[in-house]
Amino acid sequence: MTKSKYFPRKIYIEKASLGFPMTKRILKNASHVPVEIVEDVENLIDNIKISRDFIGEGKKCLLITQNRGKFVKPCPCTPHYIGCNYFIINLELQCPIDCTYCILQHYLENPMITVYVNTEDLWKQLDDFLYKNKNRTLRIGTGELGDSMALDHITKHSKDLISFFRKRKNAIFELKTKTVNIENILEIEPAKNIVVAWSLNSYKVAQNEEKGAPPVRERIEAARLLSNRGFRVGFHFDPIIRYQGWVDGYDEVVDELLEKVKPSAIAWISLGSLRFPPGLKTIIKKRFPNTKIIYEEFILGKDGKLRYFKPLRLQLYKEIIDAIRRKRGEKIPIYFCMESREIWRKTLRKTPKGKEEVEKYISLLRV
Amino acid sequence: MKTILLPIDKIYLKDERFRISYYFPQDELLFSLKKIGLINPPIVTLRSDRFILVSGWKRVLACLKLSISSIPVFVLEEEDDLKAFKTTFYDNLAAREFSLLEKSEILKRLKKFGEKDKEIVKQYLPLLGIPATLVHFDTYLIFSQFRPELKNIIHKKKMPYSSLEMLAEFNPHERELVLPLILPLGQNKQKEILEDLQFVSKKSDIPIEKILGSEEIQDILVSERLSHVQKADKVRRLLKRKRYPLFFALKESFDSSLKKMQLPKEIKVSPSPFFEDEEFSVTFSFKNKEEFRKRLLKLQELNTEEDFFELFNDILE
Repeated sequence: MTKSKYFPRKIYIEKASLGFPMTKRILKNASHVPVEIVEDVENLIDNIKISRDFIGEGKKCLLITQNRGKFVKPCPCTPHYIGCNYFIINLELQCPIDCTYCILQHYLENPMITVYVNTEDLWKQLDDFLYKNKNRTLRIGTGELGDSMALDHITKHSKDLISFFRKRKNAIFELKTKTVNIENILEIEPAKNIVVAWSLNSYKVAQNEEKGAPPVRERIEAARLLSNRGFRVGFHFDPIIRYQGWVDGYDEVVDELLEKVKPSAIAWISLGSLRFPPGLKTIIKKRFPNTKIIYEEFILGKDGKLRYFKPLRLQLYKEIIDAIRRKRGEKIPIYFCMESREIWRKTLRKTPKGKEEVEKYISLLRV
Repeated sequence: MKTILLPIDKIYLKDERFRISYYFPQDELLFSLKKIGLINPPIVTLRSDRFILVSGWKRVLACLKLSISSIPVFVLEEEDDLKAFKTTFYDNLAAREFSLLEKSEILKRLKKFGEKDKEIVKQYLPLLGIPATLVHFDTYLIFSQFRPELKNIIHKKKMPYSSLEMLAEFNPHERELVLPLILPLGQNKQKEILEDLQFVSKKSDIPIEKILGSEEIQDILVSERLSHVQKADKVRRLLKRKRYPLFFALKESFDSSLKKMQLPKEIKVSPSPFFEDEEFSVTFSFKNKEEFRKRLLKLQELNTEEDFFELFNDILE
């Protein structure tokens, strides 16, 4: 159990990023952490990557640098399956929580927890982006390449982002987390187009495979607190993992969730079963030799990722959807992350033609 | 370095401290030596008043085979083993590509001669085309500990890194056990059998030794009517079924229902890979107009048979 907040063992600041207000804010909020100014970030990354567990080593360091490319990008999703037209803001990379299944272990070249401090560029890019898309409702969030809230006591990003988005009505902004780091959000007023979302899993999966994350009960409690304050909340059962007793395991969490959080406050629940590129399996085997999650009946999907054989996925989804619907959650919008049209039809009785239709389904229903 | 003409029996070949190549073809070198003699002298150095070979094992062994009594050699005056080894390393690096096993020997020796792990990773792994991480370094060190019989097979079969990496995850005893199984198979099937074996073992918490010693596998292995290839392939298929029980059950059910339709062998009905897509495909072959019409007629007949469509209805339910 880690209600305790994350602090890195060392902060590295790229020399060119010293003068930014966000750099000063981070240094103030983590004043006890040793700091080193670096000129060559590539060399620093190469040195960390030498380590036997460079992914674990990277989590101990915080790198302050600038995003010299685009902050806002379409969620990469996956080819041949239905996406949801989500957009991601790359403001932070990597995550202090060490989940067995985490795709970032395979996806990102830089293992260090990284904060981009050129936020003025971010606001400008966001304004341009939202203006260009002013005729549609966009779903956008920060929790794809990192945990939205894990560093919030250091960066206070949540306050800045919520203040920015509350005025941009054509965007639904989502903070996605496994933490209970909600103090900053509790200090500000809710807005209809802000959703704070939690990744949930069964208690057993969370305990065994989400090292460093607060227990699921605490996440639900944090969601309850925010929903009582008037915030809309979301939940992502992703990745859903098969194990002995999974039906009861997920049923138990759904039960507690819908006991504690009013269904009317829930903006959406997404479902996604465990899937990963074959390369991640090698990393998981090395970093988590005792895990069993990769030894299930996985097949190579149309996108080249390993995913449960379809009848197993159908069974997972049907059970969890059934649990949600049975327990006061009849009206909560449920959608899939990276699933096929067939799965949508056979479980939710919907057949979205494409990601635009999914976007419309998720965003228009509840705003 | 000075060059001298040295009687070949003065080279103490039992000292293999600098040797990195064990498996190599000699035919071309023998042919070249016969034609033009030894042009490029090997490198030797003195240890305990004896000449030992630093570089040029292939050449010296080939000269021995041809009963050449004396050869020109460079004498390296370097007492430090690490520095001497670096000479052979850079000498070879410029001249040729190293095999996976040679790379593992190089790394093992660098470590043995006192180079620090992190230095090896930073300096040498990139030169050898290996990602500069300690994880890769460790893996190559395990390759260097494989028994000579296994190394010989790896060399002969030109096993790729991914298969060696899998083998490195097995303990030495398990490697001995799987050796006869992978020996007759090609690269892809070797990798499959190793992966499936490890998968079944991890999933069910049964040691690999116990799986291979199980009655069903032993029945295959002791069978007198099966060749080595057939045995290995049968075990491979058995493991595959254990890894994908639901998929094989479904596939068998589909195949069996299809068989009942008694389609001519020229018409094939296939699901998508792993039934992942809803689509099925029908293909047929024909030699002439008459056969073409016959197939179309059969397909038209199928169009009226409800049993045929039952095949595709909720196959996964």
